[in-house]
Amino acid sequence: MAAYVAHYLVMVGIYTILAVSLNLLVGYAGIFSLAHAAIYGIGAYASALVALKLGLGFWGGLVVAAVAGACAAALVGIPSLRVAGDYYIVASFGLQVVILTVFMNWTDLTNGHAGLVGIPRPRVFGLVIDNPFKYVVLSLALAALTYAVCRRLTGSAFGRTLRAVREDEIAAQATGKNVVLVKIVITTISSALGALGGSLYAHYITYINPSSFTLDESIFIASLVILGGTERLAGPVVGAFILLAVPEALKFLAIPDTVAAPTRQILYGSLLILFMFVRPEGILGRARVKSA
Amino acid sequence: MDLVLQLLATGLVVGSLYALCALGWGLIYGTTLHFHVAHGAVFAVAAYYAYVGQKLLHLPLLAAVAAAVLAAAATGLLIDLLVYQQLEKRGAFRTSIFISSLGLLIALENVLAIVFTPDPMRMDIGGLGTAVIIGPVFLTYLHILTVVLAVAGYGLLAAFLKWSRWGQAIRAVSSSPEMARTVGVNLGKVHLLTYAIGSAISAPAGILVAMDVGAEPFRGTRFVLLASVGVIMGGIGSIPGAMLGGLFLGLLENLGIWKLPSEWQSAISFGVFLVFILVRPRGFFGRTIHSAEI
Amino acid sequence: MTIEKVSKAFGGIHAVEECSFDVPPGLITGLIGPNGAGKTTVFNMITGFLRADGGSIRYKGEELLGLAPHQVEARGVVRTFQHLRLWGKMTVLENVLLGCRTPLGENVLTLFLRPGRVRAEETAARERAMEVLRFFALAGRAHELAEDLAYPEQKLLSMARIFATDAEILLLDEPTSGLDTDSLQKIVPMVRRLVEHGKTVLLIEHNMELISQLSDEVVFLHQGRVMARGRAEQITRDPALTEIYFGA
Repeated sequence: MAAYVAHYLVMVGIYTILAVSLNLLVGYAGIFSLAHAAIYGIGAYASALVALKLGLGFWGGLVVAAVAGACAAALVGIPSLRVAGDYYIVASFGLQVVILTVFMNWTDLTNGHAGLVGIPRPRVFGLVIDNPFKYVVLSLALAALTYAVCRRLTGSAFGRTLRAVREDEIAAQATGKNVVLVKIVITTISSALGALGGSLYAHYITYINPSSFTLDESIFIASLVILGGTERLAGPVVGAFILLAVPEALKFLAIPDTVAAPTRQILYGSLLILFMFVRPEGILGRARVKSA
Repeated sequence: MDLVLQLLATGLVVGSLYALCALGWGLIYGTTLHFHVAHGAVFAVAAYYAYVGQKLLHLPLLAAVAAAVLAAAATGLLIDLLVYQQLEKRGAFRTSIFISSLGLLIALENVLAIVFTPDPMRMDIGGLGTAVIIGPVFLTYLHILTVVLAVAGYGLLAAFLKWSRWGQAIRAVSSSPEMARTVGVNLGKVHLLTYAIGSAISAPAGILVAMDVGAEPFRGTRFVLLASVGVIMGGIGSIPGAMLGGLFLGLLENLGIWKLPSEWQSAISFGVFLVFILVRPRGFFGRTIHSAEI
Repeated sequence: MTIEKVSKAFGGIHAVEECSFDVPPGLITGLIGPNGAGKTTVFNMITGFLRADGGSIRYKGEELLGLAPHQVEARGVVRTFQHLRLWGKMTVLENVLLGCRTPLGENVLTLFLRPGRVRAEETAARERAMEVLRFFALAGRAHELAEDLAYPEQKLLSMARIFATDAEILLLDEPTSGLDTDSLQKIVPMVRRLVEHGKTVLLIEHNMELISQLSDEVVFLHQGRVMARGRAEQITRDPALTEIYFGA
């Protein structure tokens, strides 16, 4: 039982990293991304590959993951964020599809559907992290670090600029803000941080394959953010705690396996719709008083 | 050379499917500015409407298809009426509309997956499956019908938008909702009509694919993504652009296979898209999107 | 600032045609004319929101045409908007802070690597922002949301925001529109005080009566062309121009 709770907490930590970093984009910059699972996957594969093929340790893997995530986001962001409008949604949608294709088909590198096995455990200050309880500490520590970084960002002049861009980017331009640069920077940071979650995941489960990083997963991460609330940084954390308990709850309802996955998806989809009607600001958000 | 001709032909067929999707999605996006990803669900469910019509209600193929198109139009209209317009009444932001659309897409696709299972549901297409051989190129009557329908669909839509009163109302709203409202256009009704027509024009694409390889619940996601890419490349707000964008994508995907393995199809389309918006963000025919709508 | 032969056409419509005029330093220049004369289009072109089809806009020896809005701001030219475009969900203080110079706080690298200097910069910016708010008599409202302000105060806030940028040339888009006579008492003297502070103002104004009060020089635009230029009293007394203005 204790090991089970430990596992839950490790996953909460990982998903906190993913959701808080996505919230930088969706909640603070007002940019919707459907590619966060791809970024998650890039972090996982990058970290796993440098560990397996180059013998690089966990910390090195984290850095490589962050850089890889940042590059992918910049590659897609630079052309599409220059243009006003919904181009980034389409571009991120496309990135998600392409990255998944790469994971599945560049078999020389990623082993395709079979995935990568035997990813080494992290070594922290000489200590090998090899049981769930040690992982809880590592996972929650990394989550706290990510949260702290995001907090510094959002509480600064940069964060203020982000909010201004989100609310009215024309006014921001007129006030001297380089809106395109701001968007590119935040997209890059959001992805660098999200990729860290992937690295943590890879070294925890020690086995990764493409099926963990699909569009469904992107939508799940987005659901965490939306459910918890985009206005506060802590919102996604709440979302993580709640939504990660859902698959377990569903198991109690004795739904047959074949139907379990679609049922979960129907639940997430319905939650998204429901929340837009009932509480678009999420659980932690301040209810918006609509001005006339 | 033979291979290239075959790929061109297949590209034209696939491009016609994308074009039908792009025309519908583009009409909706250009007029309402809703990023209606649930269009993918309408695409998918249209196929199942046809399947149910033929296999469970035992309607003749033509009747089943016609009924399915009407049902799909109604589905699209209901989505706007019951979800988007309700959210707009509550002062929802555009992101909220998009999120609700995403929720609808996932929920509807997975309902289809549970009801019909993820396996392809095949239909009887009788003589349409007969092969036609033109030189080195191998097609079926169904494929040729697809191209014909795409052209016909484009023609009908263009004519409707140009000459009918409702079509002109749609164009007015598309170019400036504020002005349209001032001259007395009922935005709510125009939106509903746009959804009905947009869904009706893309439904045949879903049905044609189902007639070819069977109805599948998750195919719509890929098609709506490609539709939006096609619309952007063609230019937002341009009907000829959407048609061209869709055809272009179909040809691109298939010609790409000539030199690269087929699993990389999506990567090619997407890569070209990125380069395209780097160089010409407004697309082939789009109006220049100046960030200043001041 | 010199605007020379600037033109802009949309489709077949020539919104602005061969428009040329000077904006003399330290004075208030009024840009007037009937609706649709092209005034806002000129503003948009000066500040980089629209790209002119031809001509030149020079300030301090530099060409402004073709620059992006934030680059124009960096060279000392800012604007307000007719529809204000305040950040309603942010506080009055934050609206002004966004106009202040905070390059260290906005740069992610310095944000994490030079926290001390970032903090000092932020403190200085806040002080400056409060100073600006006092100048505009809005200091008491600093922590209220911008959308909760009364309309005249929102107008003042939109001016405060650009004043905080330290730009020399302020373009005011209809600063008196939508105001009743009482509120006008707040705004009109404020515009004069800007000039007393060393700024140069170019404003769009509809109200012919206010023109003489509010401008030293006047440029009369009609159907995209400059019809007349001169001192305010001359222009407002010219019967031919008055006829165009009211007749159009």
